[in-house]
Amino acid sequence: MTLGLTINALAVTAASGRMLLDVPKLHLAPGSCLGVRGPSGAGKSTFLFSLAGLIENASGAVTWGETNLLQMPAGARAAFRRRSVGMVFQDFLLFEELSASANAALSGAYSDPAHQKAIESKAEEVLTRLGISHGARTVDSFSGGERQRVAIARALASDPAVILADEPTASLDRKTADALIDDLLALVRDTGKTLVAVSHDPAVYTRMDRVIEIVDGRIATDEAAR
Amino acid sequence: MNPLGPLYRAIEWMPIAAQDAVVLLVLLLPALVVGGLVIFGYRPFSLVRAMLWRFRWTNLLFIGLIAVSVGIGVGLIAQERGLRQGTARAADPFDLIVAAPGSEITMLFAAVYLQPSDVPLLSGDTYQSIATAENVSLAAPIAFGDSYNAYPIVGSTPQFVTHMSPALVEGAMFRGHADAVIGSGVDLTIGATFTPAHGVGDAVEHDAHAQFKYTVVGRMQPTGSPWDRSIVVPVEAVWEVHGLANGHAPERADQLGPPFDPDYFPGTPAVLVSAEQLYANYALRAQFQTAETMAFFPGAVLASLHGLMGDVRQVMSVMAVITQVLVTTGVLVGLVILMRLFARRLALLRALGAPSRFVFSVVWSYAATLIFIGAVAGVGVGFLAAAIISRVVTAQTDILVNATLSWPEFHLVAGFISLTVLLALVPAFIALSRPVITDLRS
Repeated sequence: MTLGLTINALAVTAASGRMLLDVPKLHLAPGSCLGVRGPSGAGKSTFLFSLAGLIENASGAVTWGETNLLQMPAGARAAFRRRSVGMVFQDFLLFEELSASANAALSGAYSDPAHQKAIESKAEEVLTRLGISHGARTVDSFSGGERQRVAIARALASDPAVILADEPTASLDRKTADALIDDLLALVRDTGKTLVAVSHDPAVYTRMDRVIEIVDGRIATDEAAR
Repeated sequence: MNPLGPLYRAIEWMPIAAQDAVVLLVLLLPALVVGGLVIFGYRPFSLVRAMLWRFRWTNLLFIGLIAVSVGIGVGLIAQERGLRQGTARAADPFDLIVAAPGSEITMLFAAVYLQPSDVPLLSGDTYQSIATAENVSLAAPIAFGDSYNAYPIVGSTPQFVTHMSPALVEGAMFRGHADAVIGSGVDLTIGATFTPAHGVGDAVEHDAHAQFKYTVVGRMQPTGSPWDRSIVVPVEAVWEVHGLANGHAPERADQLGPPFDPDYFPGTPAVLVSAEQLYANYALRAQFQTAETMAFFPGAVLASLHGLMGDVRQVMSVMAVITQVLVTTGVLVGLVILMRLFARRLALLRALGAPSRFVFSVVWSYAATLIFIGAVAGVGVGFLAAAIISRVVTAQTDILVNATLSWPEFHLVAGFISLTVLLALVPAFIALSRPVITDLRS
């Protein structure tokens, strides 16, 4: 399944009243890859978290397919993320004491038993494809690149339609970052998933289908990647 | 009032062990129900294991605190029961005591637990009336006042020694005034001789009876009472050592034991009486409950004391639970603080779309695991504490106390687990109220 994104009048305001994000309109085709760049503090992560339905005080509409996240209660938004969204974070956010396999299949712990096997199997498949062959080892001994691969496997294990990545290469050296983004894009494009990746790294956003630049909470530029 | 009374009455048709097992299950039921409801449908244990391992030393400290508070609580309560059983066992050979009117408890402590105090003496005539009363099979006078190496020397009769120890472990019954039969715990050998000191404890006068020597001729069986550390000698000898008549007319001065001659009877603080039939003890008690004598069953006095201790036990049980709950509350407050360290991981779960109830179940299971392991370890600590305290109490009182944990303590631990895993819901609720984005960025 693929999902497209439609944003209408998305606004996020801080408790102080300061505007954090103001996106009047944005449409993203199903299966496309969007890079989000911009200076620090510009609102890139707030934009990404809004797409995941994690921002409580957002207004407007963030619609994935037919589902407007901002009209749903928190529990339903969590269910949507569980079903349709995989997330990758800058500093991996793994359970260091668990194995690569257990981390990758984390969502199996709260899925219904019918899906648990599928999640475990998919996690192993992605780990193998990403070159993580020692799945039983705890990840505290892994390198940064290996950890981020495990995090990507975790994001893909439940076969979501959307992948949201927040600075996925920021903690990696150049060579590892390039290899990782190659792998991520290959996995996403092979399965027709929609990818939104926030990054300072030109090697990431220039390889997307489209790049937006956010400055002071607003989309300053919106263009196809070169 | 025992809050479990109605439950016990409802299942009194069951065998005792089954009743206790059912009560244990009922007490654990709140924990099991809460656990079932919280965890149902999820598999939080790999994450719980990860959390336990990540802060293993802190977790061990929490478990240790719970274990020590539970262990000391149940150990003390078991000790109280062990002490009751030990004191009852020590009093078992003493059917009826007749003494001069006064405090039954003072006399109980003097005659049964060998804690002598100054009490009025019964005269020879009174002793005679007791000894010759219908159905009396044993009327043993006792005489205190001397000691050897902190072992109290008690004067009595060969019949009394046989009553306490139907067979001797070694040696023979005393046949002469200078013979002594020792308790099982007395550090003397057969054939050893010793000079009695006047008095007991710190006030002994070692040379007061320097001219007199006893010879050990026999050793009694263990009784689990202070009598195991006593030296029993002919009552005649105690009287003689103190310059008194020895209970017999001069022409029968070498006699040991009854009958005694009232005219030569110096007096005794108490007579230990045993009737030929158990029921006859009641008649004897009534007969000697007079203006000149006081008759009481040591078991009945002890039961009154135990009744008082029963109230103390209930108070101790409540205090133990309160202490344990306070310690656990402290641990749970610690967990709430520790949850800040886990906050990012919990926020991750919520960002990935984990249901709130799953995150709740992870936190609750983590806290409940610490509580459960702590409580089970506490049972182990309780066994150890009971054994150690038993040794100390036995050494201090000479009353053999074999305290060990039993169903009441297991019930207490089960109640503790149920109560505290309910309290563990609090950190779980608090964890859910944390802001996801803030924690993710922390």
